Amino acid sequence: MSRSDGSVLTVASLRVVIALRHSTVRAVDDVSFTIAPGETVGLVGESGCGKTTIGLALLRLLPAGGRIVSGSVRLGGHELTTLDDEQMRAVRGDRIGIVFQDPLTSLNPTMTIGSQVGEPLRIHRGATARTARDRAAELLELVGLPSPSRQLDRYPHQLSGGMRQRVSLAAALACDPALLIADEPTTALDVTTQDQILELFSRLKREIGMAVLLITHDMGVVAGQADRVLVMYAGKLVEVGATDQVFYRTRHRYTQALLESIPTLTSSRAEALHSIPGQPPDLAHPPPGCRFAPRCAFMTDECRAAQPAMSGSQAHTFACIHPAEARA
Amino acid sequence: MSTAIGLTERDAAVAEAAAEGGLRLAADVFLENKLALAAAVTFAVIALFCFVGPLVYHTDQVHTNISQTTRHPGSAHLLGTDDVGYDELGRLMVGGQTSLEIALGAAAVAVVVGVLWGAIAGFFGGIVDAVMMRVVDAVLAIPALFLLLFLASITTASVGILIAVVGLIAWLVPARLVRGETLSLRTREYVQAVRVMGGGPLRIILRHIVPNTIGTVIVNATFQIADAILVVAALSFLGLGIPPPSANWGGMLSNGLNYSYAGYWWLVYPPGVAIVITVVCFNFIGDALRDAFEVRLRRR
Amino acid sequence: MTGYVLRRIVQAAVVLLLVSVIVFVMLHELPGGTARAVLGERATNVAIEQFNKQNGFDQPLPVQYWRWLDQIVHGDLGFSFKQNESVSQLLADRLPKTMLLAGTSVLLALLVSIPLGFVQALRRNRLVDYFLTAMAFVFYSTPAFWLALVLITLFAIQLRLFPAQAPQGSIGQIVAEPGGMVLPVLTIALVSIAFFSRYVRSSTLENLLQDYVRTARAKGASTWRVAFGHVLRNALVPVVTLVGLSLPFVFAGTLISEEIFNYPGMGLLFYNAAVARDYPVLLGVTLVVGAATVVGSLLADICYGLLDPRVRLARR
Repeated sequence: MSRSDGSVLTVASLRVVIALRHSTVRAVDDVSFTIAPGETVGLVGESGCGKTTIGLALLRLLPAGGRIVSGSVRLGGHELTTLDDEQMRAVRGDRIGIVFQDPLTSLNPTMTIGSQVGEPLRIHRGATARTARDRAAELLELVGLPSPSRQLDRYPHQLSGGMRQRVSLAAALACDPALLIADEPTTALDVTTQDQILELFSRLKREIGMAVLLITHDMGVVAGQADRVLVMYAGKLVEVGATDQVFYRTRHRYTQALLESIPTLTSSRAEALHSIPGQPPDLAHPPPGCRFAPRCAFMTDECRAAQPAMSGSQAHTFACIHPAEARA
Repeated sequence: MSTAIGLTERDAAVAEAAAEGGLRLAADVFLENKLALAAAVTFAVIALFCFVGPLVYHTDQVHTNISQTTRHPGSAHLLGTDDVGYDELGRLMVGGQTSLEIALGAAAVAVVVGVLWGAIAGFFGGIVDAVMMRVVDAVLAIPALFLLLFLASITTASVGILIAVVGLIAWLVPARLVRGETLSLRTREYVQAVRVMGGGPLRIILRHIVPNTIGTVIVNATFQIADAILVVAALSFLGLGIPPPSANWGGMLSNGLNYSYAGYWWLVYPPGVAIVITVVCFNFIGDALRDAFEVRLRRR
Repeated sequence: MTGYVLRRIVQAAVVLLLVSVIVFVMLHELPGGTARAVLGERATNVAIEQFNKQNGFDQPLPVQYWRWLDQIVHGDLGFSFKQNESVSQLLADRLPKTMLLAGTSVLLALLVSIPLGFVQALRRNRLVDYFLTAMAFVFYSTPAFWLALVLITLFAIQLRLFPAQAPQGSIGQIVAEPGGMVLPVLTIALVSIAFFSRYVRSSTLENLLQDYVRTARAKGASTWRVAFGHVLRNALVPVVTLVGLSLPFVFAGTLISEEIFNYPGMGLLFYNAAVARDYPVLLGVTLVVGAATVVGSLLADICYGLLDPRVRLARR
């Protein structure tokens, strides 16, 4: 699982902490995964589970108080955690691109679309204003913006939410990065626009074939886009596997509970909505055993004693002592 | 958990303490600010000096004493005497009382008038708001000092008059602030809820909107106090302060400046430094209060 | 943008009108009225009645207001009996000089406080920041007249670098002696710098917390590029409005500065008129200063609209 040959991204035993005034939160605790070329990996979990922190940690853009304590992050074989500031800056925007959740606040309100999309080229390729502008127009066309050359001189507030997100995507793709991180790219958009943006992702995947780390809390988004899924809970990965494995042959009880709590069109009106009782643990003082145990209906004393190890086959792993039945 | 770049530890602490109650949270942040704490203590000391001091250090602040004018600081007069024989230290205390009274009184007037004006304007909106705010703009357009000088030239200053006059100029800024807050609060659900329940405008304004603007108002009031001290000092300098034997720091300073060439430093520095320290204290406190309330607002 | 500008102009016009009403009310609150002010304390009632009739003071208020407004619009701001000159004449002479003083002070203040506040924000909570913040607080809390006298003592008397009195005469003569302007300008500018730089600092800090800064960093931008290419522009936009709002404060500063340095501007004119109870002058100056503030604010708001694309290119 942690072989660096061929894979775009290899994360091994990553630990990230966030130092608060009176405590230290273990936001990401011993997380390992890989992303192969052309693969879309979905990182899914509820708010506060640490998934966004992973995204920021990969770019070493953690907020004040956050730092990578241990572990390795290799991009195409090159270790990122040991780079100095200047070297890391060369990676950001060039080898890794990122799209954030809120398209309005993520864009500079007083800077034209064209200059914002072309900026990575000016930073990393030494492009002239002219070249950057031309390339920006091409990128805007790539992401499906109508009349791209006209949009170049407009400002973010003049565009709709969906168009802004396309712009952010265009900027992230400007230097042909090896990896694209999409942090909740559709959460701030309405349902129709969400659909359009996801369509765009699919199309880009077919056309460009780049590796994508798709971070989201929405199982539906993951189901439609990801090749493989990483389920995260309270800072740890609890289930990892191909999408249909995780969705249809669910093993970890948390994943199971998550899937059950999604209302479907066919569930009867009379049925109460399933929800997972309780709260996620305090990550400043995490429990010794399985972190989901306090909320799990299948929990035993063994679960609370020690962290369950990852078990299962190479293609589908999970950290649960009492997993759901493996169906044929 | 917010992940914006530039998030400071203080902001992280906010996230951490978000579970606690709002006011306690604000108090926490305020107390964390060492500067503000020092300022608050300093002001307490100054207030004690002004109001309790004369009970300990007795001087005659009513009768002049021509045989004792402009004495250097010594055992009889710890800070010397001024040009008509008053003991300077004693005068500093009594002057401080007047300066502080006027400043606090003016700030109180400003707050009461300003909050009501702003809340009414913001709550009713529309033409009422437009007219009320244009009035504020108009009075704001005329520099306070000009208005005050004019008013002072047609009346004889006294503590009460100065409180009224300074306060009536100072209410404009709280009015604007409260109006802005009211406009945003008006659309909140709980205000709509009270309306649905049949609550009248007065009730809504007084019981629901005003209490929620307290934070902004308190912050502004602290700055008003600071400004009022400076304005009264300026008025005294321009010769339109309260006539003797009443004293205030501004008057003492501007009087003392007449003698700076003679080297009578004790007539200049004590009142001057007293003004600067007091005003700085209020500015620090106001700054810290603003941080504290902003923290509470963000949690909302 | 046009919608925005039009609305601002209409608002400014209304405010100007209200300013004139306020001044008019002040005119009427004079104890004994203008008559007594002009004719003196010993004037007989008959003389006063005659004066009032002659000058239309016996008419109903709205009529008087209208006539007064009419006069103003035609450039007649009354007559100063004490100085024996028309108020408009006096103002025409003094206004440009005060504008010169105020304008130079504001310009100097901006030129210094913008880089100062910006650097403070970037070096937040370091020694530089604390030191400059402390300085700002002290300057801001010191009575302007004391500051002026300290400046005089230091620069005029001890170091003999600049004169303690401002240049006199026409505006041409004043400009010819820039050295004499230094201390008056500094008095106003120092306090303004304290105020502006705090504001620039907090505006910059606010911007540094914004998501678009994170995006810029994620593109690999260096701190330099983030600061000057992204944050500066956004942080400065509200400063324009701030300048507009601080105009009353600047004019108050000119009053004190002119009095201390004997600078022949509107502030000194106003002060002398206040002491001499020369009401026509007092009212004329108040009106003009009020108008200048309203117009200045309007211009600042329009500049703001031009600078912020969200306003300049709004849907309306």
